[in-house]
Order: sequence, then C-alpha cells, then structure tokens
Amino acid sequence: MAGIGFELRRLSRSDSYLGQLRAYFYAGIVGSGPWVLSILAILVLGVMSLGVVVPAQLISQFQTSVTWLIALSLIYSGGVQLLYTRYVADRLFEHRSEEVLPNLFGIVLLTTLPLFLLSIPLALWLLPGTTPAYRLLMVVALSQLNMVWILTVLLSGLKQYKWLLVLYFLGYGGAVALGLALGRAGLGMEGLLLAFVLGQAVIAVGSLALVWREYPPQRLIGFDFLRRGRLKLWLLPTGLLFNAGVWVDKFLFWLWPSTGHAVIGTLHASVIYDTPVFLAYFTIIPGMAVFLLRMEVDFVLGYDRYYDAVREGGALSSIRHYREQMVVTARAGIYDILKTQGFTLLGLMALGPSLLGFFGIPTLYFPLLVIDAVGVSLQLLVMAGLNILFYLDRLRTAAAMTALMFVGNLALTLVTLNLGPFYFGYGFVVAMLISAVAILLTCNRILDRLNYTTFMLR
Amino acid sequence: MNNETDCDILLLLEGTYPYIKGGVSSWVHQIVSGLPHWRFGGVFIGSRRQDYAEIQYQLPANFVTLSEHYLFDETPGSTPLRPPRLPADAQASYVRLHESLRRGESGAFDPEALLEPGSALREAAFLHGDAAWRYITQCYETGASEPSFLDYFWTVRNLHKPLWTLAEAARTLPRTRLLFSPSTGYAGLLGVFGAQRQECPLVLMEHGIYTKERRIDLMNADWIADTRNPLLRDPTEVSHLREMWVRFFEALGRQAYARADPIVSLFGKARQQQIHDGADPQRTRIIPNGVDVAGLRALRRPTQDAPPAVIGLLGRVVPIKDIKTFIRAAHRLRERLPEAQAWIIGPEDEDPEYSRECHDLARALDLGDALQFLGFQRIHDILPKIGVLVLSSISEGLPLSVLEGFSAGLPSVTTDVGACSELIYGREGDAADRALGAAGAVVGLADHEALAERCAELLEDQAHYAAAVRAATARVERYYDRPTMLDTFDALFAQKLTTPTEETR
Repeated sequence: MAGIGFELRRLSRSDSYLGQLRAYFYAGIVGSGPWVLSILAILVLGVMSLGVVVPAQLISQFQTSVTWLIALSLIYSGGVQLLYTRYVADRLFEHRSEEVLPNLFGIVLLTTLPLFLLSIPLALWLLPGTTPAYRLLMVVALSQLNMVWILTVLLSGLKQYKWLLVLYFLGYGGAVALGLALGRAGLGMEGLLLAFVLGQAVIAVGSLALVWREYPPQRLIGFDFLRRGRLKLWLLPTGLLFNAGVWVDKFLFWLWPSTGHAVIGTLHASVIYDTPVFLAYFTIIPGMAVFLLRMEVDFVLGYDRYYDAVREGGALSSIRHYREQMVVTARAGIYDILKTQGFTLLGLMALGPSLLGFFGIPTLYFPLLVIDAVGVSLQLLVMAGLNILFYLDRLRTAAAMTALMFVGNLALTLVTLNLGPFYFGYGFVVAMLISAVAILLTCNRILDRLNYTTFMLR
Repeated sequence: MNNETDCDILLLLEGTYPYIKGGVSSWVHQIVSGLPHWRFGGVFIGSRRQDYAEIQYQLPANFVTLSEHYLFDETPGSTPLRPPRLPADAQASYVRLHESLRRGESGAFDPEALLEPGSALREAAFLHGDAAWRYITQCYETGASEPSFLDYFWTVRNLHKPLWTLAEAARTLPRTRLLFSPSTGYAGLLGVFGAQRQECPLVLMEHGIYTKERRIDLMNADWIADTRNPLLRDPTEVSHLREMWVRFFEALGRQAYARADPIVSLFGKARQQQIHDGADPQRTRIIPNGVDVAGLRALRRPTQDAPPAVIGLLGRVVPIKDIKTFIRAAHRLRERLPEAQAWIIGPEDEDPEYSRECHDLARALDLGDALQFLGFQRIHDILPKIGVLVLSSISEGLPLSVLEGFSAGLPSVTTDVGACSELIYGREGDAADRALGAAGAVVGLADHEALAERCAELLEDQAHYAAAVRAATARVERYYDRPTMLDTFDALFAQKLTTPTEETR
C-alpha cells in the first residue's frame, strides 16, 4: 500500500478537525481491507435475509460457503497481492505506469487460470450433495475473488479508495438487494450465491475501469513482472503465510470434531467460534486507521528523509538524526495503535453486551469476542511490524515472521482445542502476542543497526 | 641462471608497459631489449580490464612471463551479505595499521594478514564488519570537514579496495630473484608485498615523482565529489577527499621507500624530492635516462650553417605542457623576428577541449601561418627543420625530447622544471658537467616573454648558437647516452643478484 500514503498525507494535512476525521475515516475503511467489508456484507445479508428466505439453515449454508471462498482465495492470492503491489510500486517509482495494466492482466491470468482448473475437481470432491448450479457458482466465485483481491490492493495502492468504497457499496449493496429479491423468487441458496457473484462482478469490472482510466495501457497483456530481478519472490511465502496464519485457527475450529460441523458439502463452520471472531475483526477498524496514518504517512516520511540523507550526501550526523527520527515515528505509531486499540477494547467491554443484544446476537459470545478482539489488536501490531520490514526491504525476515505466526497459531490453537472450551481463543491471542513481540524486537534490532547495514552490508 | 625461479628480474608495471605507450614504457622496452642476458618478467597492474587495448610492443624473447591484475574491476554483486566474524581487537588493529602507515614504518602492511581468513584486515572484515564501520565513522567525525558522508565512505572503500587485490597478486607472483618497480604507488606496494613474501631485493625507480603526479591528477579530478556548498567553500582549501587520496599515495610511497634499495631517480631534484618524502638518502641513486645519440648524430647541421628561424615544441597538446605559453611566446618572438615560425609537434586528441582553446588563442593573437599544429611527426624528419627546441611544461621529469634535440644538435629553451636546468647548465656540484657550458637557456614557468627573448638571442647570434650546440652535444654524449644507461643497470642488477640478500629492515 505504498501509494496510499501520499493521498492520506494530503488529507491529514488539512487543518480542520473535519479533515482529520475524514482522513481517519478513509484510512480505517480502506485499511481494514476488503475482507472486513465483505464479511460485514455477509453478516448483513444474513441478518436481512432472515425471515425472508426460508429455511434459516440456508443462510448459514450461504455464509459458510462465502467464508470458505474468502478464506481460500485470500490464502491463495496473499503472496501475489504483496508481489504485485510491490511490483507496481517499483514501476511507478520508475515512472513507468504504462506497465501497470498489461501486467495486471498477466498476473491475473497467471494466477486465476490454475485456480480455476484446480477448483473444478475440488468442487466435485468437496461439495457432495449440492446442486451443479451451486458448484458452478462456487467455482466462478473463487476465481472471481482472486481477481477482486488483486484489483483491490492495486486500487488502494493507486489511492483510488474513494471509488473503491463506492464500488464495494454498490457491489455488496446490490448483492444484498438482489439476494433478497431472488430469495423471494424462491431461488434459495443458488439465488444468494448468484447475487454474491454478480455483486463481485460489479466490483471487478468497476475496479478494472478505474485502473484503465488511471493508467491507459499500450498493450493488453504483459508478463514483464516475470523478468529476473523484477519480482521480490520472498513476498510470496510472506503473503501466503500471513493469510494462512490469520485463518489457521478458524480452519482448526471448523474441522475439529467437537467445535465444528459440516454445513454444506464438506464445508465446515464453528458455531461457537465464528461469530465472535468475525465480530472481533470489526474492532480493528480504529486501530487500522491509526496504523495507516502513522505507519504509511509518518513512518514513510521519516524513511524517505533518511534515505535522502544517505543518497544525497548528508553528513553522518544528519544521517544519524534521521535514523533516530524514523525510529521515533515507528515507535509513536506503535504506541498510538496500542492506545487506540486499548480504548476500543475498553469500549467493547463496556458496550459489548448491549450491542450484541441490539443486533440479536447471543451475549454468550461476549467473553470469546473480547479475547479475539485482543488477538486481532495484536495482529495489527504484527502488520505494523511487517510494514516496517517491507519498507526496509527485509523480505526474508518478514517471511520468517509470518512463518512464526502461522506455526504459532496452528500449534497453540491445537493446544487450546485439546485443553477445552475455557481456553478457546487464547491460542490465537498468544500466537499473535508472540509474533508481535518477535517482530517488534526484530524491527528494533534492525533499526538500531540500520546505519551499519545500509552502508556496510549492501 | 637460476632455474628455480620464473625470471631473474620481475618488473611491476602500473598502467604502462606493454599495454600503454609512453615514456616509461619505452624505457622498459629499452632495458629489456638492451639486456638480453637477463630473464625479465612483468606484472601489469591496471584499473579495469576494459581500459586497455592490445599489447603495444613486440615483447623481446627474454621477456619470459607476463601476468595481469586489475584493481578496479567490477566484482559481480553478491547475495545479501552477513556481518563477518571478527576478532575482538579488530578496531584496534585498524587504528594500529593506519598509525604505522602514517609514520611510514617499514612493513606496516603484512600481506598475509590481508588475506588470512580470521584476520580483521581481510577484505570482507574491512568492507562489511561493524568494527570497520565504527572505525570509519569515528575517523569521519574526527577528521572530515565535508558534509557528504556517502562520498567519504566510498572514498575510504575505493582507497582500500586495491590492497586486497595486491596482497592476492603478491601471493601468486612469479618466482623471481629481484623485484623492480618503475614507480611507487600500487606497483611499489606490490613490490613491498612481493619482496616480503619472496625475501628478495626490491629496486625502486621513479621516472616522475609518482606522488606529485598523483597530486596534480587528483587536484584536477572531477570524479572526486566535492560536495561542499559553493558559497561556503573556501576555494583555496583542498577538498578533504582529495587530500585523503594524496595522503594515501604518500603512504604507499613511504612503504616502498622503506623497503627498496636502491631508490633510483633520474635527476638531482627528483632525488631531493624523494628524500623529502621519506627516502633514506643513503639508498638513493641517480641514473638518468639515455637516448640513442648515435642514431641521431646524423641529423646535426654543419656548424657554419645558420639555424632555421623555427622554434619547435615536441609534446602532446595537454595542459601540463602549457602549450598556451608557447603560443604567447611565438607571438612575442614574431615582434623581434618577423619571419620566425613556431611549430607544435604532437598529437592533439588527448584533451580536445584544451586543444581547441590553444587554436582559439592562436587565432586571437593573429599568428596565422607563423604558428602551426603539425600533429605527430617522426623526430628524424622534423628535428633537422627546427632551430631551437622549446619546452614550456609546468611539470617534467627528465624530458627525453630535450636530450633527443641535443643529440640532433639542437639547443633548448625550457621552463625551470624537473631536470631541465641540469640538462641546460649541467648538474650542480659536478664541475666537469658545468664546464661544458649552457646548452640553451632556462626561464621561469609561464614566462612567455623570457622564453621568446632567449629563443631570439639564440637564433640571432650565430656564435652564441654554436656554443650552445657544442654544450648540448657534448653533454648528451657524455652523460645521457643509452649504452651508458644500460651498462649502469646491468651492473646494478648483477650486484643485486650476486650479493646474498640481506634484508635487515
């Protein structure tokens, strides 16, 4: 999300409170990522369809299907998302924006085609007892999501987030409305899924139009990103492991016999785990806003100043000064994330039960929601650390950190599943805590030795 | 002959023979061809391989081995680097090394330590170690006056980088009985390393004064960044980075002086400079260059003939030759001798901008046909058409063109640089040489009026001219004949190769 910083900087520079507020609003929504939005849409779709679409079981089948689609597509495209964002950032740095779109098509083709081919046997094998129409829609939706994620990271990278929000609103709003209508028409499960696919199509086509308008291509498709040295290949395992690390506890809860059950085909869900953990992701929004403004704007500014001082022949004293400034902004950003998430958690504890009641969600979920909210806040710190590592080009270290996160979440969630319901959620929290501490200590060490490594180890 | 060695005398050739043509290269070629009973070898030291074309000489049969080393070849970019393991006293060893270099102590460098895997002085340790980083930043903070750390940092690296190449070169040096370096600098240092490793004597000869030439180069080098703010910069203050290069070459020079015996120079002033730069006077020795007097003798004019009213300058059109002063002198000379001609004989392609400035100056002075740029000419063709050979350089060693002119019976008017006054008036303290008389005249640097006056005096006064020609031919025959020089070196080599090496230093 290299490019987002600039626009945010412009917004945050407006002196009015309103301007500041607007900057935080955008940052929060854009940063929390499309998947928070899409989960919101799923929940809304579920809530609104309630009572219209019968039976209610259909809704949970639909939610489970889409959740699996999102999880699998995010894990599948996680590496490519990072890879392509970095590729675009590098090309834009070279003022070669005409390469953006051909390579977008190239990368989308190269990733979607195998996914599509792979998803056909998967649909045949994993979805027994479902209609061919359902399976077909699932296959289409999976490939579609892969494209949408890549387009979405690209658009947030290209500062087009106002339009991105509009597109998501149109796409998911339309999907909800259409879902309701199709539900009334008695199309049931397939109707909901069709509405989802059509909504995704709106987002995909709209995003493409935006990229086209911004960077008109000179040719349709290109594979220049494959050229040697163009790709930072360490981003591939990093993106994969990060997303797998975020989802592994959910998968375990779905597939663990005592906590999950098959909902449709062999797709599982977990009644006790899913609702609190997805709700917990909404508490990330304020922290994410702070994260974006502090890390993407302030830290990047410090980063630029530092490397300018190095490149433009600054005195050693000013190189040292700017390194310290960079550390200060990183530290301030992390403190601010902690503060914001702290307040959010306090608010959640105070208002949580009544909010749950208002939306008709059983308050039984509340304790787990709080635990997961802590875990999600820590995950935000991991993301802040990863961001620093990306900027400092420590891609191998970043990959190692995400591996730690994945393995930690996997192992500790398994431990808690064995220990019993009282411990549920703590596996995720402790894994995120360990990862956050590890990554922040690593960043600290790297930043401490930055002058030495910048000069002597390049 | 000793068959255990690859050669008897190994020449350390920095940027000269056999790849580059020039004064030192022809000298080397003469020595090797002139002493066929010694087996010579050569180690060429260059900057980057692509900077050199083909071998420029037909290598004599007794030139038995040639190897090459390039100091600034690009090494392929390596994978992400790890901090090297260092001994605990790494930083202290950098301090020690630089202090002993500054003092010019003999053997300050241990070529083994530069290559030893565990040493703090090995390449990876100095280029990537954190002790080196601390040392470099400390030096910057205490010594550097310039704002750009990046430039300072890269200057330090570029200064040190050749050391490891040279240490490695010393390890693989052909086996020899004697090392001979015709310059200090990198070649001199390789000589020191090689002499240490092979425990053989090192003879050092300086055709120019390397450090001084480097200093002139460096003052003019635009590749050394001077990032000081132009408004704050004191133009008289030498850029710190340049000063670092100069100090570096001075340190290399001291290392070579500390090891070599003898330290040969071409003329008295050069010897004084060597002593001033740290050479032990006991080990210094003068062996002037020799020219082919016999081959040029035929060009001499009968003494009764009036000399042609032509002054000629033999040399490349470059600033160091100060061609502009010669052009101004030509203008001045024409006021006294309207029919006088001035010729510039030498290639103009080395510094096209300077060359253009010279043509512009000639036009501005309205010299017309009185001044001609003749380009490269064979001396046998051109010397007989000249009356007085002029040398207006701002820096010279022992100018062969003057000696060649002497051999061909031409007096010279020169600026007071290098060996010129010794050549014109005879060596100071050598009564026999002084008694031969003046072979022309010496004038101050850039003094075009005096230059023109002295030329006019020679051309106008036939008796004066004839006396100068007599002094010139007598001096060159007695002191600067090539066979004499070859004999001297032959004796020197024989002495170094027979006496058991006794390197006590």
